[in-house]
Amino acid sequence: MNYAYHLREIEFAYDATPAITLDEYYIQQQSITALVGANGSGKSTLMNILAFINRPSRGNISFFGEQVRDDDYLSLRRRTAYIQQKPYLLNTTVYRNIELGLKLRAVKKVQRHARVAKVIEQLGLQHLSYRRAHELSGGEAQKVAIARAIVLDPQVLILDEPFSHLDERFRHELEELIGRLNKAGKLTIIFSTHDKLQAQSLADQICSLVDGHVVPNSIINLFPGSVDVENGLFVTENSVIHLPASINSGTRLGIDSTEIVLSRDELKSSMRNRFYGKIKSLHDEAGDIHVIVNAGEKFHAIISKAALDELAVSVGDDVWVSFKSSAVNVYL
Amino acid sequence: MNYFFQALADAFSLIVSLDSEVYIIVWTSLKISLVAVFAASLVGIPLGLYTALREFPGKSFVLQMLNTLMALPTVVVGLVLYGVFTRQGPLGGLGMLYTAEVIIVGQCILIIPIIWNLSITAAKAADPRLADTCKALGANTLQQGWIFVGEVRYALMAAMIIGFGRAIGEVGVAMMLGGNIEGFTRTMTTAIALQTSKGEFEFGLALGVLLMTVAFVVNAILQWFQSLNQ
Repeated sequence: MNYAYHLREIEFAYDATPAITLDEYYIQQQSITALVGANGSGKSTLMNILAFINRPSRGNISFFGEQVRDDDYLSLRRRTAYIQQKPYLLNTTVYRNIELGLKLRAVKKVQRHARVAKVIEQLGLQHLSYRRAHELSGGEAQKVAIARAIVLDPQVLILDEPFSHLDERFRHELEELIGRLNKAGKLTIIFSTHDKLQAQSLADQICSLVDGHVVPNSIINLFPGSVDVENGLFVTENSVIHLPASINSGTRLGIDSTEIVLSRDELKSSMRNRFYGKIKSLHDEAGDIHVIVNAGEKFHAIISKAALDELAVSVGDDVWVSFKSSAVNVYL
Repeated sequence: MNYFFQALADAFSLIVSLDSEVYIIVWTSLKISLVAVFAASLVGIPLGLYTALREFPGKSFVLQMLNTLMALPTVVVGLVLYGVFTRQGPLGGLGMLYTAEVIIVGQCILIIPIIWNLSITAAKAADPRLADTCKALGANTLQQGWIFVGEVRYALMAAMIIGFGRAIGEVGVAMMLGGNIEGFTRTMTTAIALQTSKGEFEFGLALGVLLMTVAFVVNAILQWFQSLNQ
């Protein structure tokens, strides 16, 4: 297996408090990896280490098979491209912002111009080329930051929470772009997100972080299908699921396992998605009960032990699966 | 009272009649202070950016010293440099005493701490994401400094203008090192002191008005830069 990164016994501490502790972690070349976790879980710290912005307090990193040494950092930074959560654009035009990294690498003017023009066209930024960067909307600025990164032709593209400040339209555009860059450019892409469903939808590999440690990924529900815009529905192979009004496109639907409610009787509530099915499996994982219910689609629910005791069900019993349409997300 | 208003009227008459002696003094002052401020900026701005962006042993001492040196008395600089550049001094052989060049050196020493300190403030006031953006784009230390100069350019220009204001208005260095030689080292401030002591109050007042005009213009430019920065 070819690895972009191989991290061993990595630790990074702010003052005396460790922000990230990893025994061993691999990131495959040309894969999409999602770092998932809550605020303060260590995602940004890990990204800064992967982008060679910060050096770990201890541990070893191999980058594309080469052992990283202290004096390699500048050259390694030039092989990666890192986009901050709220990217900072210089107080100049969009064109000059995109050109900047090439200038820093002393790329000749003719080549610079050709590469910038190509990326501007690729991302559809022609109309913004000569606008001042500070006049752009959040989504436009994010796109310019991506253009500024990919024009450098990096081996790894690292994006810190790229979706958090984007509206629906830009979010879909960006999801599509990440997939396209990964396939066409054979780029290794690493992004962080709070949204497990989105991570599962986009990434080949998910790294879940809690308090600076990698933990096993929680199960989520992801179903292929299509949106029926007129009726506000998502049609999968075996089910029809109600969507929030804001969603009008997408090919995959995700439901957070912890948002699914199980009951013996049909619930009289505002939850518009209700399916009747049979429990296929039940198991305890780190204190949580993981239940799989076959109700057309196979729904994975995570409930507490107390909820299971109250429900008093076992494998083979019939239950209702309910969830709000707001618990549903749709991805391109 | 009449004496003052008569002198003020004569002063305006000297200004309006484009009296060559007055304007040679003004030009000498401007020339010396402009060169001093550019030279001091070449030293003060890089030092300011380095101090703001890097950690090094003794940094807090440097910051404390800079704050002290912001209010460096001009006569002390004049006195020390007089000792250095006088014939018996360590650099006496250069024959620089009573030249415009030595005033420039003195003014540089006066304003380098100001520009240095204000450049630190400018760099620290930059967006906190800028340093990581520079690193992520693969900038080396020099390139990072250059990007910072571009991003905080208005604040740095303001620092230069404040330095210029200090240089053009000082009298201690110009008097002690320049010797107040007409046509060479006679600046507005030294001429005001001399002409007033000679009893030519209206001449001193004319230069005073021009000095205030320069200060006013300098402040107007400063305010303009600050408005651009916002």
